[in-house]
Formats: sequence, C-alpha cells, structure tokens
Amino acid sequence: MQNEKSGFFAGKLDELVSWGRLHSLWPFPYGTACCAIEFMSTESSRYDLSRLGSEFVRFTPRQADVLAVSGTITFKQAPILKRIYEQMMEPKWVIAMGACACSGGFYDCYCTVPGIDAIIPVDIYIGGCPSRPEAFFDAMLELQEKVKNQSYMEERKKKLEEQWENLKSLTLKNYLKQ
Amino acid sequence: MGKPEIVDFEKLFETIKSFDVLIDIVGVDYLGMENHAGKRFGVIYHFKNTKTMERRSLKVEIGEGEEIPTLSKIYPIADWLEREVWDQFGVVFSGHHNLKRLLNHAEFEGHPLRKDYPAKKRQELSENDNMLDQLEKRLETIGYKVI
Repeated sequence: MQNEKSGFFAGKLDELVSWGRLHSLWPFPYGTACCAIEFMSTESSRYDLSRLGSEFVRFTPRQADVLAVSGTITFKQAPILKRIYEQMMEPKWVIAMGACACSGGFYDCYCTVPGIDAIIPVDIYIGGCPSRPEAFFDAMLELQEKVKNQSYMEERKKKLEEQWENLKSLTLKNYLKQ
Repeated sequence: MGKPEIVDFEKLFETIKSFDVLIDIVGVDYLGMENHAGKRFGVIYHFKNTKTMERRSLKVEIGEGEEIPTLSKIYPIADWLEREVWDQFGVVFSGHHNLKRLLNHAEFEGHPLRKDYPAKKRQELSENDNMLDQLEKRLETIGYKVI
C-alpha cells in the first residue's frame, strides 16, 4: 500500500494522514437535476452517507474535499462549475454522478456539455439515470480506496522539489532579466 | 383554442384591446416544410380575457430580415418572451428596450432553433456575463443603491 522506500516514520505518517482523509470526505453538492434528489436521499437517514465519515455536506467549496456533480451541465453553467472547482482546497476529488455529468446523457444537443471531464478532471464516474444511492455508496467506497493509496509524503516531496527548483532559478541574474 | 388565425400586425393590434392577458409568444421556423406557401417565420401570440375567459391565438408571419413591432410596452411579460423568441429564432422585435439573449449564453453565435442551424454544433462560453443588469436598474428606480 505505502511506499516501502519512505521508511518507518514517513510510512506511518502517510498511513495516518490518508486514514484521516478517507474517513472525513466532505462533499460539496453541485446539484442541477434529478440526480441531486438521489444525492439528498443518500445523505438522509435511510441510507446515511455519514456512516462513511462524510458527515457534513458543505455548501462552500473552501471547506469541501469532494465535488459531487449531480446533474446536467450546460455551457452557460460551465464557467461556474470550473470556478467552484478552482476554489476548492487541495487535496480535492470529483465524482461525476449520473449519465448527464459523465457524458451529456441523452442531451445530445447544442447547449449541453458532453461530460464534465471536458472542463474539470474527474476521479469517479457513476452511471444510471438517475443513479441510485447504492451506486453513490459504491463510488464513495471506491474513492476511499483511491485516497488510501495516495501518498501524502510523496505529494509533499514533489511540492518541495518544485519550490527548490524555483528558488534555484531565482538568481540575481535571472531576477534582473525579469 | 384550435388553429391560430393568420393575421397581419395591424389586425393583431386591434384585437389586443379586448384581451388583458398575454399568455405566451411562440416562434416557428417553416424552412423546408412541405405545402407551406407563406413567409419563413411565424410568431404565434396566445391571449386571454380574464372576464369572459375567452382565449385566442393569432399568428403573424414574417420573412427573414423583417422586423415585428414589440408588445412589451403594453404587456410587461412580453419583454422576456420576445427576448426568448429572438434568442432562439432570430426574429427581431423593433422598439424592444433590451433585446439580448435570454436562454443561450452571451458568446453564442447564431440562433439554435432555426432549421438551418446544425443541431449538434456546440459553442463554449469562457466567462459569464452579468445577468443582473435589468434587476439593478429596477432596484435603482425603487431607491436602492447598487454597489
């Protein structure tokens, strides 16, 4: 599961961070159509998504981890969706719920985006028109598996290396050239 | 209501006087239709009289490049209905105070419900336009200050 080269303490820290992440995936409901009703049903007491730790639905993108796009996205809506995705903090994941968000569905026309992956990156796709709450649970479990395999220390290392490269390129000569 | 009666605009303007509610304005494109002798576009108006409960639908036919006078000065509801018909069919309503797109986005080119528009031609939008311009004007007339 974890990178064996990273050593005992780094590996344990990795496990701890991803354990914390996967049991507190807070979704942002981007509901535009009938899939949003199924999402509400998933959240409410009969199915109860909070069993997986997705306790709160946050209505601000700055406090959410998972963008649950449930519904048809038109080209008029597309810049709004993109801005909301950009406002979310790292790490962030996207679930495309239902046929419309995955591929445009049966709206094969001039105004509908043919799948939200034309605008933003998508981690999990759910089929169905609309998808059932069980399908959403399946997607959440799959997403948890994905989060578990992500290494926090490697992300950190990549970012530090990028910063180091930026610092190295920032010599006085380059600075004066700018 | 039955089939709409084909009239010219002067006749329409006369019949308005006995109807107090404008229910809907619908556009039609007759391009490529068999057995159609009239002009290319049809604009169908649905009226209702709230006292006698009588309904009437009237059709005005216009060709491409022609204009039709607006009804938005008599019926305020015609403002958005005419904007929608212009947006989807390209029928110009002369005298309309704010003839801009209602359903399609600001960077859209062409009119999608015309028969010669390719149905699957998609057009992207890069940035949202301000959709509150009319609301802000109304707020200012009431006395609010828009920041």
